[in-house]
Amino acid sequence: MISLTINGQTLEVPENTTVLKAAEQIGIVIPTLCYHKDLTPYGGCRLCSVDIQGMRLPATACTMPVSPGMVVQTESPALTRYRRTILELLLVRFYDAGYTRNGTQEPELDTQFAHWVRHYGIDMKSAMAKKPFRQIDSDPNPFIWVDKNKCIMCTRCVRACAEVQGRFVWTQAYRGYELRIVAGSDTTMLQARCESCGACVAHCPTGALDNKLSVKLGAPDRTVATICPYCGVGCQLYLNVKDDVPGGRILSVSSNAKAPVNGDHLCVKGRYGYDFIQSAGRLKQPRVRQYLLDGTPRPASGGPWVDVDWDTALDIVARGLNAARDKYGSDSIGLLTSGKLLNEENYLMNKLARQVLGTNNIDCSVHINRSTTVDGLNTSFGLAAMSNSMDDIARKASSIFLIGSNITENHPVFGSKIRQAVLRRKVKLIVASPVFFNIEEYAALALRYKRGSEAALLNGLMHIIWKNGWEDKKFIEERTQGFEEFKAALDQYPVDRVSQLTNVSAEALNQAAELMAHNRPMAVIWGSDITPLVSGVNNVMDLANLQMLMGNLGISGGGVAPLRSQNNSQGACDMGGHPSVYSGYQLVTDKYAHKKFETAWGTALPTRPGLTAAEMIAAADRGSLKALFVLGENLWSEETGAFVRRSLANCEFVVLCEVLSSEVSHHADVCLPGVSFAENTGTFTNTERRIQLVRQAIQSQGDSRPAWQIISGLAQRLLAPGSRPVSPEAAYAGWAYGNTREIMNEIAALTPIYAGVSHERLEKGDCLMWPVYSVAESGSPILYASNFPLGKGRFIPSKG
Amino acid sequence: MKVIRSMVLVSVDEASLQLGAQEVFRTFLDEIEAFGLSNQIAVTTIRDVGMHSDLPLVIVYPDAAVYGPVKVEDVHAIVEEHLYKGNIVPSLLAMMSELGPDVSWMRRRRGAMPVQKRVVLERAGIVDPESIEDYIVYDGFQALGKALTQMTPSQVIAEVDKSGLQGRGGAGFPTGRKWSFVASTPGFPKYVICNADESEPGTFKDRLILEGDPFSIIEAMTIAGYAINAQEGYIYIRGEYPLAYRRIENAILQAEQHGLLGDHIFGTDFSFHIHPHAGAGAYICGEETALIESLEGKRGMPRARPPYPTTFGLFGQPTVVNNVETLANIGPILRNGPVWYRELGSPKSTGTKVYTILGNVNFTGLIEVPMGITLREVIDIYGKGMKNDKKLKLVQTGGSSGTIAPASLQDTPMDFDSFRNAGVSLGSGALLVCDEDTCVVDLAKVILRFFRNECCGKCTPCRIGTLRLYEIVSQISEGHASLADLELMSKISEAMSEVSNCGLGQTASTALLDILKYFRAEIEAHIVDHICQAGVCPISMPSPEPDLVP
Repeated sequence: MISLTINGQTLEVPENTTVLKAAEQIGIVIPTLCYHKDLTPYGGCRLCSVDIQGMRLPATACTMPVSPGMVVQTESPALTRYRRTILELLLVRFYDAGYTRNGTQEPELDTQFAHWVRHYGIDMKSAMAKKPFRQIDSDPNPFIWVDKNKCIMCTRCVRACAEVQGRFVWTQAYRGYELRIVAGSDTTMLQARCESCGACVAHCPTGALDNKLSVKLGAPDRTVATICPYCGVGCQLYLNVKDDVPGGRILSVSSNAKAPVNGDHLCVKGRYGYDFIQSAGRLKQPRVRQYLLDGTPRPASGGPWVDVDWDTALDIVARGLNAARDKYGSDSIGLLTSGKLLNEENYLMNKLARQVLGTNNIDCSVHINRSTTVDGLNTSFGLAAMSNSMDDIARKASSIFLIGSNITENHPVFGSKIRQAVLRRKVKLIVASPVFFNIEEYAALALRYKRGSEAALLNGLMHIIWKNGWEDKKFIEERTQGFEEFKAALDQYPVDRVSQLTNVSAEALNQAAELMAHNRPMAVIWGSDITPLVSGVNNVMDLANLQMLMGNLGISGGGVAPLRSQNNSQGACDMGGHPSVYSGYQLVTDKYAHKKFETAWGTALPTRPGLTAAEMIAAADRGSLKALFVLGENLWSEETGAFVRRSLANCEFVVLCEVLSSEVSHHADVCLPGVSFAENTGTFTNTERRIQLVRQAIQSQGDSRPAWQIISGLAQRLLAPGSRPVSPEAAYAGWAYGNTREIMNEIAALTPIYAGVSHERLEKGDCLMWPVYSVAESGSPILYASNFPLGKGRFIPSKG
Repeated sequence: MKVIRSMVLVSVDEASLQLGAQEVFRTFLDEIEAFGLSNQIAVTTIRDVGMHSDLPLVIVYPDAAVYGPVKVEDVHAIVEEHLYKGNIVPSLLAMMSELGPDVSWMRRRRGAMPVQKRVVLERAGIVDPESIEDYIVYDGFQALGKALTQMTPSQVIAEVDKSGLQGRGGAGFPTGRKWSFVASTPGFPKYVICNADESEPGTFKDRLILEGDPFSIIEAMTIAGYAINAQEGYIYIRGEYPLAYRRIENAILQAEQHGLLGDHIFGTDFSFHIHPHAGAGAYICGEETALIESLEGKRGMPRARPPYPTTFGLFGQPTVVNNVETLANIGPILRNGPVWYRELGSPKSTGTKVYTILGNVNFTGLIEVPMGITLREVIDIYGKGMKNDKKLKLVQTGGSSGTIAPASLQDTPMDFDSFRNAGVSLGSGALLVCDEDTCVVDLAKVILRFFRNECCGKCTPCRIGTLRLYEIVSQISEGHASLADLELMSKISEAMSEVSNCGLGQTASTALLDILKYFRAEIEAHIVDHICQAGVCPISMPSPEPDLVP
């Protein structure tokens, strides 16, 4: 620790602290412009100049490291004079055309720059340039607004692009008074390979870079912190809301340095993909097919749609599902829940299927295409989740093996963290993929394998590791089982054969294994590209094998990291959106769990695991599944579209709950309008098991309703006829939920890994990563530190 | 043709005049005429010599002999003995104890003149710069051999430290101390960088060394490498010096072929490699941290300091950055020893200094003289007088970033300390001599335009300050300014010199501030009366198109 004095106050700070950060600790504010806490200090604007005893000239607080006995003065008449001169000089080359005010009389820009101009008593209007000297709105990027009349050359955009997104779009060109910030070699941003993440906008202190979609919309009335609805990274974002229409409308999205996962960073989807919330395509009214109102048989085409009220719609759904159950049995009904919905809603779907309808036919519909991570990891370790947090991987891994994921597009914010790990920590990144993904630009080695040869590739790598004695013998001995049989299987993968099977040269294979061996710990990350229906389980188990072989589990910087494709894929599975488990991976076949839920829900529950999503679709095609309730998902996809369409057409009764109309609605009998994340309150669980609060920002659009209200309304109607006996005394038999907070309390009561989770804790700011066994715990960023849920990890030889 | 080899200065302050200085002056003219020396010896007066009891004083340059009190009858002896025969007359010299500080320094000045005392330029023009054999014949690589075989690295540093050598790039930082900083900083690798990006306008001393004696730089860098335990050296050569680059490249090649550079130099365990690098035309890359950034392949912009290059230099490693002229002193120091070196120059600023003389003098070019001579000597002896016998108005010392010394400061000794005390910078050693036809507003405009163009743009005060100052000075020259603009200029200059990131911004307004200090009346004449005395500014030009009466 180093002791120094700032403005007469003595304090102690760690070595290498800057004067600025030291001053911050005791609440002394030093004016800054080019400084941003996430970026390398630059020392360009000179606004933070302070006097340091013994130094001939003032020094910039943002770059000056503290030294023992240093005496700092942050304010003096001379310093004030210099700062005012600096701001006046900046204003000489600054012009604000006033468009951000949206015609209102708001006096000045609300930017960091404007703040300091005001603070030093300068009138911006009279001090700034008299006319624009550069084109306003000078870049055709669809999301980012560029007005270089407001640029003060602080280079925060340049550093943000390099140090946050790792894309190097912005740079400085020319020199002296002609210096300007340009994209690429003075091209457009997109030509300079901009990914439109908006990091530069978030870091701009003047409004020279702004959000094109909202730049002229004026200031919001309020800001709501919530979670991004796109991928499994789970970025926190801020919805800026204007209350000039009933229920409010969303002006823009912004980021905040305080966000736990992403800080000030977001990707193009999270930051700019919010127009769907209030798009004209939103379903705003429940609708049913005409024949359901008429009581006539279903026409082949389904017949015309009729808008109805909620009671009518829910009555029809309840009638239809009850009819199917009464006629064909509980297992003739399938429920597809969604990684787009809240944890609370997924839990209710699991309860609806098992308690109300009496079937285990529940799955995430996204699993029609990719299901296998859960099954693979469950088999190897007994738990299906990312073992180490994203932050831990980015900060601590020495090497990263990334396979089958276009991470910079599908999980962009995590992708940029990996780019930074390579740039800053020289992490060795090995990318394996049948096609080029742009993360490869950061790879120490790229393995371009033949599609479908993942098993050979992984076993080949393990073969080299084992033959060279690079495996972690102690870990294998103490923490795993089945290594002997596994070794025998590995023997089938000598490097020459693997090279033939994969089209990867023996040299590259050896090099990859060597990188893995000499840069420990290694984290393994995979995406949905290697988890297809048939071979996916094997691939996942092989990745688990690889990490057990290397002893990269239960330690910081290691682990397995399946990237969940949807924002709440993890939560949907956690909540029992799976045919064989209740919430918290409690097996339906486990006597104790079964009994527990029967008691809690007050009814007899099915004991056999249900159908997976893919099996449901197949069953519908065969005709054994008669009714399908699909919540918030678009089942249609490139690969399986035709098959899904045929199966749905074969179902007698298809109920859909959607936000926007999808392909599937052609085959539905009832369409219920759900709400987007911006209209709902509850929780999402991200890919690293982090449970985060989603907060309602605006009122539901039209007559749409949150899914939890739809499900509970439906459940009450389904139970009303009494054909399914439920004991009302049971603790959690009822469906009268006032809000999602109550649902989470029920989840916590029945789900050990969520036992300590509550909205109150999240509201308070607790960071929770399951398992959270009690309210005293916050969970763990690293799993398997001492043992696996199965006790020992299982080596499972690849089949084939 | 008049070739001044000696100068006589007679003190003409109030006290001296009362004691007959005028008679003494007149007698000197007569005697010099009588000896037929009028073409070789200039006689002039010096107004301000300070308080002495030996007045009137007579100072004879270049020997810096101070006689006093001089009476009319002493003049004959001085002219005959000293000026004609070349022997100082000890009996007539002023008592050291009687001299005030303004003059007494001259007594401590050593070294024979006017023959240039060449240390740095000792071989330039004498050896074949492309032949290592020639260099070796002229004592080349003796110093390196001595260092590697007879001295420890710390002994090398101690010798340099004892010599009192100060960096010749402008700041005058003690070289020995810089080396010992880097030597004692933990970390490996360490680097030696030779700053050969000589881009100060009017300065070309480094170029002459690089082109005329390239091996001396190779040898000195290798010695520096040995002293600080570095194995790699970079020499960053100004891009506009292609011949210097070729010669350095050739010198590296030949030295490597002779085992004097590369692995196991002189058969010892010490290895050192030098890589030449050509600059790309940016003035700012002469700033050492910008140079380092540029060497690393980045945009040449100065870093924030601290950390200094001695701890965080090239690729983040401890690095010595030395100017070409500084390095050229290393060989002679090691060969002849620090005591010999200290004999040159003045006690606090040792050695010689290479100056480039420019402007309105009869001879422009390079001179190497001991530290501590005066501007007057430089102009009248080495510069062979003002061109067309015009009057000296001012000298800008140290290049564009240097200070303005008005004629009244021409008897201040030129060494680091004396200049610093007088508010003058020695800088790179460029001396721009301006006569009475120079307009200070025009001069300021030229200087500020240069900085406006060469500023890297990193920091606010410099980027926009140089632009604003240039605009205001242009307005003055056009007659569109007000007196309030002078205050604005002072305010901007103050912020620039106090809070700019690097030396460029801190010194860009130096000349302007000096001009405001010494020549304010002339500037106000531009603003208030729309008069440019020198007739240079647009304000004084007749309007190209007279108003036509319709």
